[in-house]
Amino acid sequence: MADKKLSVAEILAAARKADKTGGGAEAPAAPAVEAAAPVEKPAASAKPTAAPAKKPAAGGARLSVAEMMAMARGQKAGGEAAAPAAPAKPAAKPAAPAAKAAPAKKEAPAAKAEPVDTQSILSAARKATKPGPMTKAEAQAKAAPVAADTKKAKAKEAIVVPPMPVKPDYAKPTAAKATKQQVVERRAFLFGMSALAVGFSALSATAAAWTLGTVRFMFPNILREPPSRFSVGTTDKFPAGQVEERFKAQFGVWIVNTEYNGQQQIVALKSVCTHLGCTPNWLEAEQKFKCPCHGSGFYKDGINFEGPAPRPLERYAIGIGSDGSIEVDKSRTFQEEMGQWNDPACFIPV
Amino acid sequence: MHGISPQQFAETVSSFLVPFYVALAAMNGIAALLMWKKFGPVTYFRVFGVPITNALVWTFVALGFMVLASMCAGANMNMMPQMPQSFRDAVNERTGPVIYTLGTTALLIILFVFRAWFVRPAVAWTIWNLMLLFLGLSMPDSNFFSIVAKPDNVPIVALVFLLAFFTWLATYRAVENDRRMDAGEPPLEKLDDEKVLVWPDLVYIEMICMIALTALLIFWAVWLQAPLEEPASSVKTPNPSKAPWYFLGLQEMLVYYDPWMAGVVLPSLIVVGLMAIPYIDFNKQGNGYYTIKQRKFAYIMFQLGFLELWVTLIVLGTLLRGPNWNFFGPYEFWDAHKVEALNNVNLSDYFWQWWLGKSLPAVPQLQPIIDYTPTWISSWLQPILQFVGILLTRELPGTLLLLGYFIALPPMMALTVFRKFYQRMGFIRYMVMANLLLFMASLPIKMVLRWSFNLKYLIAIPEYFFNF
Repeated sequence: MADKKLSVAEILAAARKADKTGGGAEAPAAPAVEAAAPVEKPAASAKPTAAPAKKPAAGGARLSVAEMMAMARGQKAGGEAAAPAAPAKPAAKPAAPAAKAAPAKKEAPAAKAEPVDTQSILSAARKATKPGPMTKAEAQAKAAPVAADTKKAKAKEAIVVPPMPVKPDYAKPTAAKATKQQVVERRAFLFGMSALAVGFSALSATAAAWTLGTVRFMFPNILREPPSRFSVGTTDKFPAGQVEERFKAQFGVWIVNTEYNGQQQIVALKSVCTHLGCTPNWLEAEQKFKCPCHGSGFYKDGINFEGPAPRPLERYAIGIGSDGSIEVDKSRTFQEEMGQWNDPACFIPV
Repeated sequence: MHGISPQQFAETVSSFLVPFYVALAAMNGIAALLMWKKFGPVTYFRVFGVPITNALVWTFVALGFMVLASMCAGANMNMMPQMPQSFRDAVNERTGPVIYTLGTTALLIILFVFRAWFVRPAVAWTIWNLMLLFLGLSMPDSNFFSIVAKPDNVPIVALVFLLAFFTWLATYRAVENDRRMDAGEPPLEKLDDEKVLVWPDLVYIEMICMIALTALLIFWAVWLQAPLEEPASSVKTPNPSKAPWYFLGLQEMLVYYDPWMAGVVLPSLIVVGLMAIPYIDFNKQGNGYYTIKQRKFAYIMFQLGFLELWVTLIVLGTLLRGPNWNFFGPYEFWDAHKVEALNNVNLSDYFWQWWLGKSLPAVPQLQPIIDYTPTWISSWLQPILQFVGILLTRELPGTLLLLGYFIALPPMMALTVFRKFYQRMGFIRYMVMANLLLFMASLPIKMVLRWSFNLKYLIAIPEYFFNF
């Protein structure tokens, strides 16, 4: 079916040929397509048929897009153009050489009057109603439609689609040979069903196992934190003025022997900045805690003095365990601004 | 640079600087060629009858860059053109957050006021060349190089140059349009308002941009290694610890504000304020073309908020903030033990202790409420009343100041500077605009107060995590 239809390109090519040679030159139109199908007589040569045996009349069975558009334009143009465009429809059917050339000839001037590319057709359709700026294409179409058209036609002339070769025997579709399976046996049906059932059961079981595994994944078998209570050694290991950093990496705590409110104490300072929660560093040379994130600074006793930190570092509970060593309890914190540093649970007087 | 010998460093710098200067020479050469062939040369003056044109000048500049490239080629530090040591020391000594912020502000004001002169192509091209030359001359400094050439920071350096270019482009067109409109002509964009189709004109451009940018990102990713750091640890924070580059403005803001303010309230207000712009903007001019004169207020506010309060803070946070978030000059070694006096005091301390010579008023304990009301009431009523009590006793000066700032100032502005705005906008729109404006202005005000008075917080209630 497809090979019987005229392509737009060929209709245009034929039309251009006719247009170029002027009045009624059917004969020169032929050689152009002859190259594609030299065996055919000039009449048939206007069609892209690949099978010469088929009747040439079929070529005009359907209207091509170009023909329809030519008609539409003819109707739009008014009485004068409508008359020549109208015969295009019946004339296409017989596919006689004269008839073929005639509508093509009529089409050409129609096409000439208005550009053929989509942009211009659309803009032409809009032209009457649409004010405002215009595209380059519109401006061109307005200024010199004829020039644009002939230029385009020349550029498009080169495209001539060669006919499709005849399909060899081995490529032709053969009739379906399987007819046995159409008989559905009861046993096979049962077997098939049970295989399906097994498959779906296995799939469900796997999905359930995955779900359970995912749930299990949510509860990992780990100890989340180091114990909140731990001992750090006896008081004599923390001489006055010392900041012990050994426990920072594991427990996040500094053990500091410092003076607060005129009293020498051993305290456990939480190593979390009170500004935004970064971990400050102890700078031995400057004798201060300094936060790397926004530059907050704290004295040795944990009182904030520089940068944006609004309050002192927090203390953990600290006390002497039953074995005489210092025990830190991270489950309780003490805040200076709340007056909690006077609580004897947060320091060991020395 | 740590871990490499001076010779290796010299080779690294040289491998960067030679292509850099050659590219600059090519840039100027192409510009000179375009001036000569395409735009037509402009003769500045004549020497013995020989015309000195702009094309000739930029050709000589290109030759100069080629000479610089050849000087860098040997990987010899003594041959390499660089900033004199005295200049570097002076820059290190003089710079600080105050000089930096005030300096960029002053620079932007000068650029704005004299924009008609600065956007002239010859002037802009000279500044562009000087910026690139400054980068090239500073690269042989190992401290400068280690910061600027760090893979993390490359986007920021690119951002500085890209922003300079695009700001110039927009201002150039705006200045030209303003001039035209003063002369009664339509703006440039209205001359050439030819309609083009989205498909294919726009979509093709977008696709080409997409492909080019993807290719750029791929080459970038291959060329510069991803800057991986040590494994994360909850008890060890890298020093310095920096936010992603686009959040460094926020991180800088956090230096001056409580995390609750700088981390939650102000960022939310930025987003809300940006969304509110279409509703509070009543100026119908300036649609579809660049202009400054017709939208002066909007333009200044945008450039203040974007260039000054966002971009310069990103540059500051990226290139000039080192260990312990201390400020370091561009040629200064990042010493983790640099001592800077940042001793900050709250307004209430200033007021009660320093000015009145008293001790701070005690926190009201409100014992009667605990004693005479049931626990389920006092458990929530007591903290609220205590908070209000602190606000009205110890923190009274800060409370009054802030109330004056946010409540008394908008009506005063409506009667004076924003009189026309108020008439055009109506009460609600004006109040939204004024409050957003005051919140935006509160950041530079707070910065200046911190630098000049070591002021920590105007209202400091650490008991309830409320600091302003």
